[in-house]
Amino acid sequence: MTNNWMRRQQRLGYIFIGPSMIGVLLFFLIPAAYSLGLVFTDYKFMNPNVGFVGFDNINRMLHDKLFYLSLKNTVIFLLAVPVSLALGFVVAVILNQRIYLKKVLRALYFMPYITSGVAVSFVWMLLFQPKQGPINGFLRAIGIDHPPGWLSTTTSSMFAIDIIWIWFLMGYNMIIYLAALQEVSPELLEAAKIDGARPGQMLRKIIWPLVSPTSFLLLVTGMIMTIKTFGIIQATTQGGPGNSTTILSLYVYQNAFRYYEMGYASTISWALFIIILIITAIQWIGQKRWVHY
Amino acid sequence: MLVLAIVMVMPFLWMISTSLKTPAEVFKYPIEWIPSNPTWEHHVKVWSGTKSFGTYYLNSLKISLIGTIGATFLSAFAAYGFSRIEFKGRNGLFMLYLSMMMIPPQVLFVPKFIMFEWAGIYNTHWALILPAMFTIFGVFMLRQFFLSIPHEISESAFIDGAGHFRIFFRLVLPLAKPALATLAIIDFSWHWNDYENALVFLIDENLYTIPLGLQNFILENMVDYNGMMAAASAAIIPMIVVFAIGQRYIIQGLTNSAVKG
Amino acid sequence: MRKKGWLAGFVSLVLIASVMSGCSGGGSNGKAELSDAKAAGAVVKLKMWGGVPPEAGPQEVLDDWNKDHPEIQVEYVRYVNDDEGNLKLDTAIMTGQDVDLFVNYSASQATKRVTSGVAADLSTLTDYNIDEKMGPEAENWKIDGKFYGVPTTKSSYFVALNKDALDAANLPVPKDWTWEEMMEYAKKLKQGDGYGFIQNTEPFVDPIDSVLAKEGYTKADGTSNLDHPLVRKWLESLNVMMKNDATTAPLGEQLTSKMPVEQMFLSGEVPMLNIGAWLLRSSNNFTDYPRDFKIAFAPVPRLAEDAANHMTRGGLGDYISINAKSKHQQEAWEFLKWYADGGMSPMAAGGRLPASKDADQEAALKSMLGDKGDTYDQESLMYVMFDNKTPTYVRTVPQEVMDLRSQEYEKYFLDSQDIDTTMAEMVKRHNEYLKSNPQK
Repeated sequence: MTNNWMRRQQRLGYIFIGPSMIGVLLFFLIPAAYSLGLVFTDYKFMNPNVGFVGFDNINRMLHDKLFYLSLKNTVIFLLAVPVSLALGFVVAVILNQRIYLKKVLRALYFMPYITSGVAVSFVWMLLFQPKQGPINGFLRAIGIDHPPGWLSTTTSSMFAIDIIWIWFLMGYNMIIYLAALQEVSPELLEAAKIDGARPGQMLRKIIWPLVSPTSFLLLVTGMIMTIKTFGIIQATTQGGPGNSTTILSLYVYQNAFRYYEMGYASTISWALFIIILIITAIQWIGQKRWVHY
Repeated sequence: MLVLAIVMVMPFLWMISTSLKTPAEVFKYPIEWIPSNPTWEHHVKVWSGTKSFGTYYLNSLKISLIGTIGATFLSAFAAYGFSRIEFKGRNGLFMLYLSMMMIPPQVLFVPKFIMFEWAGIYNTHWALILPAMFTIFGVFMLRQFFLSIPHEISESAFIDGAGHFRIFFRLVLPLAKPALATLAIIDFSWHWNDYENALVFLIDENLYTIPLGLQNFILENMVDYNGMMAAASAAIIPMIVVFAIGQRYIIQGLTNSAVKG
Repeated sequence: MRKKGWLAGFVSLVLIASVMSGCSGGGSNGKAELSDAKAAGAVVKLKMWGGVPPEAGPQEVLDDWNKDHPEIQVEYVRYVNDDEGNLKLDTAIMTGQDVDLFVNYSASQATKRVTSGVAADLSTLTDYNIDEKMGPEAENWKIDGKFYGVPTTKSSYFVALNKDALDAANLPVPKDWTWEEMMEYAKKLKQGDGYGFIQNTEPFVDPIDSVLAKEGYTKADGTSNLDHPLVRKWLESLNVMMKNDATTAPLGEQLTSKMPVEQMFLSGEVPMLNIGAWLLRSSNNFTDYPRDFKIAFAPVPRLAEDAANHMTRGGLGDYISINAKSKHQQEAWEFLKWYADGGMSPMAAGGRLPASKDADQEAALKSMLGDKGDTYDQESLMYVMFDNKTPTYVRTVPQEVMDLRSQEYEKYFLDSQDIDTTMAEMVKRHNEYLKSNPQK
């Protein structure tokens, strides 16, 4: 009986995930296997002459200074994820209250997500403009004589990119947190209030644990998204000035579609894959400490 | 809150105001948020003439709508399997899923390109729609939500003799409305703004989507920002509609959770 | 039990397959309609891919041709000449069905396509002598001694000058000048906080290439020549202009504000602009760029003292190739010959003068200036476009080398690296590149 039930479960499980499995197989697994093969070739896009080069690409990568620099920049870029997560959570909690103009505010916070990327990058470049931009104008007005050069210097550019990315991710995190907060029953909060819990306590002890599966989702996918993205950098600095904002994904993109070095691009992206895999695995193992289902 | 909200919409305001400016005013400092002599000529240009945005608009709508509906439904199905049915190899399979999400998309272009050509869907809308129906993020997101729906609910349903399909359609889906709506909003915006896939897989101009149409404003050695922003402001409207509809479902969840509590 | 699991999988597979075949059916239906239309009059349809927006000339050119050649109809497909656009063209070429002719805008792009075997070898076609038609400068476009395309335009690079500002400062329009002389001009012409000289990032490195195109990018022993003394001189002079003289925009400011240099010049804000013939399109457009001064032209200044050994960027451009996989190469060739020999003249309005000796240069020039002829100093324009006999080069530097150079000099101009390190890093990275790409 139980055995039978188990087998039925087994079958049902596959039926439920079956359709999606086929898509993943076709559009992810097979292409991925193909690209893994490219790691060992010198395939240049368009060029029909493909040679087997063994571990040359891997060797080249391990000695490539730009690879390490992009790796470092990627790490700085990733700092944006936890910051935007915290901000998105706070904003979502506030917008989940009965406050004035709630609906409009929610829509406004979602705006970055749907505004044209070109507009986004241009506005930030205008805002960050070192000499005439409003941000530095403001900083000078409050007495900071030498405000940062933001996107225009090799030392500050990556942090300026971080700010843009935090701004972008915040709205996205907020939206998903809002959905998660709908599952927190108001009665529970009401009861806690009657028991004399302070707002800060409620946030930490009740709401945060309740939405922890969502936080985990946002942390993992936020990291993955951040590691994979480069559009915002392509639209603002193209990896410059110098190569101060070249992150790994942009480096993959440049190798693949600027230099047509498909073999080398595949190699770097598989390195990137392994890095994401390790980060995700650490998060997966670590989730037991703080994620409550 | 309001101040922060203004920072959030700044690019949006700039987009609208640029679409009403003349080219010479675009890069003026201090930034003119309200153009002194607003002109509608760029908006007119976008919708008239030989390259009207109408076609791009319809194409984008078709791809994004089919893609989003398909993706939301298929993700919910798979997420249910991953979260509420115990079966052998479930965790391993899920890890495989997750790992596929990590592959940089640029690397998948060439093999996908070869596959699409072989299947005969290169340079058709299906080359965008079919892959769009499968989102690993969606499966992951809904799985997290389904996991937090109390197990007691389905257990009592099992005792009443309901099968997984009934539980899925009658219990889990209605409870997950906020999550489904959120996924649909996010997914729609991805398809709506997808530039790279459209660029690589479409050639015929009458198949073009809005992100490709925006490229028309890149002239040889400069960019027509006014025209581009006029087109981009029009492109945002469907997103706002989807958001407005979606938001209603997100809030509806509140009343549902009261039932469940 | 097992069988049923398989069945479910199989059913879903069939479902997907049928969806997919359904779509491909839809796709080929669309195509079938097209070929029906073709069959009606046995019309050959060609597709030409180019980077110029159709309304800036190409559409008019094709309309002219299509009117006179009902049997060969050419359609224009526009791609944006950036990384993504070239990728799009290249993927289209790989399918071998949608591209018959394509325009290459740089020698490195052309070379990439030739080595991939997608550009047809035109040296086998003997009814049109490219060398003879286009003159000695066509030589720059031979790849391994052969033509895989026809260079169709004269491409001129120059410094556009605000003639009124020059007159006011009592400065003559130079016909040959050094970088130092230009720096002096910039100082004298500079007004208040404004700049005296600006440039796009595209021709930014031309002075270095002027030197290295002549002297070689590599030394006799095959190592990098980027430590040439004139490279250092270029770095130092520009640095002085940016920081000491404040006569040109500091790089950081230029990069982060996407400085609209053409507009700054045309509005009279900055008196000198390093640019190419494409300026004419905006300088003729008085609606968007109202202007109240005359424009004069000077050659790009040289870094070297010695005028005799100087080379300048220019020569020919718009290298049009025929897809080696095209089924209609003969028709494409007919069209290409017509295009090069003057069919392209409507492109002149956008600054693209035909290079062929059989094209009507006079008429093209007229159409280039339109009714705005009076607002240019025509004598100096003729000089930079036609009469200047300085030998020219076409930039052939691979993209990788362009990028590594700019990454290093950006660090220098932004003060995060001194000049010696910059020179050393450029050489080092160039040598590494040469080692892994030994063909050149």
